[in-house]
Amino acid sequence: MVERVSPLGEAFRPGTYGNLAEGPGVTLTEATPAAIAEASAFPGSTEPLLAAIETVTGLSLPATPGAGAVGDGAAVFAIGPGRYLVSGAEGLSASLQAAVALDIGTVTDLSHGRAALRIAGPRAEWVLAKLFALDFSPAAFPVGEGRATAHHDVFAHIQRTGGDQFDIYVFRSFARAFWQELCAAAEETGYEVG
Amino acid sequence: MSARRIPTGGLIDRSRTVPFTFDGKAYTGFAGDTLAAALLANGITLIGRSFKYHRPRGVFTAGVDEPNALVTVFKDGVREPNIPATQIELYEGLVAESQNRFPSLDYDISALNQLAGPLFGAGFYYKTFMGPVVGPLKGTRFWMFCEHFIRRAAGLGRAGYDKDPARYERMNAFCDVLVVGAGPAGLMAAEAAAKAGKRVILAEQEPRAGGAANWSGETIGGKPAALWAEAAAERLAAMDNVRLLTRTAVWGYYDGNNLAALERVGDHLAAAPKGAPRHRHWSIRAEKVVLATGSFERPIVFPGNDRPGVMLAGAAERYANQFGVLPGEKIAIFTNNDGAYRAAAALKKAGGAVVAILDVRPEISAAARALAEEAGVVPLLGHAVAGTAGKRLAKVLIQRFDAATGRLSGDVRPVEADCLAVSGGWSPAIHLASQAGRNPAWDDRLNAFLPPQPTQEWTGAGAFTGAMSTAEALSSGRDAGLIAAGKKASRAKLPEVAAPPLEAGPAPVFEIKAEGKAFVDLQNDVTADDVRLAHREGFVSVEHLKRYTTLGMATDQGKTSNVPGLAIMAGARGLAIPEVGTTRFRPPFSPVSIGSLAAEKHGHFKPDRLTPMHDWHVERGARMMEVGLWHRPMVYGEAGETVEQTYIREAATVRASVGIVDVSTLGKIAVKGPDAAEFLDRVYTNMFSTLAVGKARYGLMLREDGIALDDGTTWRLGEHDFLMTTTTANAGKVMQHLEYYLDVVWPDLKVHLASVTDQWAGAAVAGPNARKVLEACVTETAVDNEALPFMGIVHGGIAGAPVMICRLSFSGELAYEVYCGAGHGTHVWEALMEAGEAFGITPYGMEALGTLRIEKGHVTGAEIDGRTTARDLYLDWMLSKKKPFIGSALMDREGLIDTNRIRLVGVVSLDGRPLGGGAHIVEKGSLEELGESIGHITAFCYSPALSKYIGLALVKGGKARHGTRAFVSDALRKRFGPVEIVSHHFFDPEGSRMHG
Amino acid sequence: MLIPCPHCGPRDVSEFSYQGDATRTRPDPASTDMKAWHDYVYNRPNPAGPHREYWQHAGGCRVHLLLTRDTLTHEVQAVAFARAGLNEGAGKP
Ligand SMILES: [Zn+2]
Repeated sequence: MVERVSPLGEAFRPGTYGNLAEGPGVTLTEATPAAIAEASAFPGSTEPLLAAIETVTGLSLPATPGAGAVGDGAAVFAIGPGRYLVSGAEGLSASLQAAVALDIGTVTDLSHGRAALRIAGPRAEWVLAKLFALDFSPAAFPVGEGRATAHHDVFAHIQRTGGDQFDIYVFRSFARAFWQELCAAAEETGYEVG
Repeated sequence: MSARRIPTGGLIDRSRTVPFTFDGKAYTGFAGDTLAAALLANGITLIGRSFKYHRPRGVFTAGVDEPNALVTVFKDGVREPNIPATQIELYEGLVAESQNRFPSLDYDISALNQLAGPLFGAGFYYKTFMGPVVGPLKGTRFWMFCEHFIRRAAGLGRAGYDKDPARYERMNAFCDVLVVGAGPAGLMAAEAAAKAGKRVILAEQEPRAGGAANWSGETIGGKPAALWAEAAAERLAAMDNVRLLTRTAVWGYYDGNNLAALERVGDHLAAAPKGAPRHRHWSIRAEKVVLATGSFERPIVFPGNDRPGVMLAGAAERYANQFGVLPGEKIAIFTNNDGAYRAAAALKKAGGAVVAILDVRPEISAAARALAEEAGVVPLLGHAVAGTAGKRLAKVLIQRFDAATGRLSGDVRPVEADCLAVSGGWSPAIHLASQAGRNPAWDDRLNAFLPPQPTQEWTGAGAFTGAMSTAEALSSGRDAGLIAAGKKASRAKLPEVAAPPLEAGPAPVFEIKAEGKAFVDLQNDVTADDVRLAHREGFVSVEHLKRYTTLGMATDQGKTSNVPGLAIMAGARGLAIPEVGTTRFRPPFSPVSIGSLAAEKHGHFKPDRLTPMHDWHVERGARMMEVGLWHRPMVYGEAGETVEQTYIREAATVRASVGIVDVSTLGKIAVKGPDAAEFLDRVYTNMFSTLAVGKARYGLMLREDGIALDDGTTWRLGEHDFLMTTTTANAGKVMQHLEYYLDVVWPDLKVHLASVTDQWAGAAVAGPNARKVLEACVTETAVDNEALPFMGIVHGGIAGAPVMICRLSFSGELAYEVYCGAGHGTHVWEALMEAGEAFGITPYGMEALGTLRIEKGHVTGAEIDGRTTARDLYLDWMLSKKKPFIGSALMDREGLIDTNRIRLVGVVSLDGRPLGGGAHIVEKGSLEELGESIGHITAFCYSPALSKYIGLALVKGGKARHGTRAFVSDALRKRFGPVEIVSHHFFDPEGSRMHG
Repeated sequence: MLIPCPHCGPRDVSEFSYQGDATRTRPDPASTDMKAWHDYVYNRPNPAGPHREYWQHAGGCRVHLLLTRDTLTHEVQAVAFARAGLNEGAGKP
């Protein structure tokens, strides 16, 4: 299998940067799920679609807006009504495709089309709040849930994958520019790449 | 230390001496000083020259309302003009300059402007420049000549030309309760809401919380008020659910309880910490807002009220109490209310000599009388200031005054004073409330406008509501905080306040009419007479008054001038103030840096959109160009080549052998679901339901009005699975168009769309040897004509990566588009380059791509420009008659089928010179006599296949002009020359090459 | 101005694209009634007050919403997904 090349290129430079007076406030890295797919239900078919997602990933979640779940090597969250972004193991799209009947919904492979950038650390909410008009507090944005938003021209699907950890899925072509923006926003708190 | 600095007291840190420079001279102040305080402490009272008349001006206030003491600050090589000295915190090495003076602050040539006083009266600009120039100067540029000089003489500080190196950021915040203002009321409100468990943001524009507690001299809970406030702020800062933002001015109140604030993060520091912004723009979405914005003291308007040394009484008190600075040695007080008596006592206590208290009222309260006694002076009741004298204030001219009639009488007596502290009453700071409320209500007791009824989710507290005492501030603050938190008001005991029981309401005296210039708006040099002149000229509406006289339009937004201006207009009209009304306060409340509004867009954030092969192109030396957000190779130049030479070489190589171009930027949309084919039949002008799986078809979309929208090929990958391609530029627009129809027009269709532009890397391999290149590297599938006919699709591999190959041609050559996962893009591209080496494969850029398509006559966004129809582009063969489609109903309207519309043709330059995009086509004329346009050129190039400069054009009549001659006419680029109009199919019109 | 997206919650208007008047209906695709087509494509009521209109949450869930918005105050009086089938079971995020 040919290796999938990161879109970040030389913009990804491990090390510590910015104001490190209180240590790096966040860690920035690229989450590299083996596969990413979008699974969408036709109106009224969200439940069977979620059942198919559960069959494939083992993750169950309610059919409510913003719902999501994080598991070992897989994650899923709503990016629109009946629309889910799923990440998981190699062959994810084919497995989902097989599990989703024609009149239930559709599956589109996005393994190459999206890059997942990960920000973690005590200042993650602060740094993200510079870029997105979302309430990142744990009460408003619990672990597992997802949001669809945009930073200027860059669409972003964001999932809280931990207490102070977020995965931001962006279009691959924007990944490097957004990564640089993320790094710039984190200079104030100091950041570690790696 | 200077004589003006009081030996003890105040909230400054006397252990930290801070050196700074003003107008090139070195001074020192203390940590905690503002520049204004430090200048006053150094005995400097003349700080700037005024806007129109260049009159000497000093410090008038101690806060954000400062109209006069504007300076230019130099920091990090950047000059920033018009900063109030009252808002600049002293830091080591601060460099500031006075402004609007030449050659020096003391001797200013333009002060002569004031001799020409009447010339600069109300409406000067309108009268002078808006009307037609008549008489002998008619037809000259007289007004431009005048404006040049006036602009230089009138105005504020000069802006810099250098790039601002500072960093600006945006912050999005959400809270349950936003409290604006951290005076006693705001502190109480924030604490009450926070204790109720709410997420609270408390924003204070000053560097420290406390507001008036910092200079009132009162005690709260048995402690000096300033210390009580400090402790309250510390308690709040320690709470997890509270964010205390100092140096943060809330300046805008927008829909949805969204408020804008500016945090001055680094202005008070000699050097910002690494990565810290200078300013942070806060966008705060609050469930509830508590406005505890306090009040502003008003001046009284009298002749000479702008002389350096005249200041507001509350400001004088603040300089003494908060900064330990005496604003003068011999201090006179002029007031229409009790408040100034507290200032008098404070100034006396600080060591100043209070030489007189002039009060327009015939009687005063016992509390005021007691304070006058403390100040060691018997107040002169029924007296007013009729004028002032001295370049810096030296004398105050006083006269008897009858507040009932507004008349002065008796002898004019001079009183020696170097400071005149004036109070005209207090106006609640209703600016934000006015942005989120109805009309403010006039209050006869306070002689001020009270906050309006809210139209958004806010409540008020403290002096903002007209409750001027500190005790009222504490109780109304706590109640507002509780109510904002959804609780009931409390009756629990509040901290005890020790304060003199002063009457808050002033006598309704706003102006003392006497000889001389009396300023209403100090910053814009608007006088009381200007207001009356505007009235005489018919400007009776306050909104007109504001624009005609510029009253209240300066950087201080009329904080001190609003009510006096209205009062004078009301007097002129013979109406009560509320009948005249007030102007609407608009954002911003206080000046906002443009950098903070641009925030992260400052400098860069227009995101660069990169294809998967971007780094390869750059390493190969490609000259990149921006196409929308995308970066694409323009040419892969070699040493010594011009751009034209390069693209000609690249295009010629494609025609002769083979070339490869990155087409990853094409919009790609996955169209899936049981109704996908039906959906495509409805959105495309041609049929897609008849397309076989494994085949692609060229498609055209129209808008509902019958105009062409976009074109591209769509590939049927499965029975219910299509891959649509769009032009690079229209990808987003087409996606939105399709989503609209699925959501709104045909909600019953079971179709899903997903943007997969970024999923696929695309490389087009074109040229007579293209197939041989593929044969050399493609595995798992044959690519011969039988396996992969024109418009066929196969799946296979290249160098181990899965690929999808479609045989289609944009160049007119035998060509294939090879798609693979974006993460494999460079890998596959390099394999194709290697396979093509034997054939001399060349990568080609946008210029060659454009050349090849022009030669072939393919249309792009330059021709599908939102005005052309399918017929205009000779694409009528694509308009299906078997089904309706978007645009089919309106495309046959008379105006759209007129054969004399501008339609697609080719043009050939007959003088061997290049054509130009956008140049007109004319039948006759010259560069001097421009002929009537019959169309324009949309694209042009040098055609290596034809060895000529050619172009595509939209020309009236289109095909009917083939074989005729016309001229290209481009007055802008001075290009005029003969062209021949020909078919747009310049090259291989039969398509034998691509079908080969 | 905030628009309360039924999927995403209240979001700033900058995330949305205005997608036009929602009071018009598209004529039958095969219709040749030019007046009906002109009304659909060109004629708009432009009321001062409540107005039904489509907004796409382009910078969010991508869904088209049907809003009743007061053109005088920007107050959003009602909001739902434009595609009726999506409205069942929709709650706040
Ligand atoms: Zn949404």
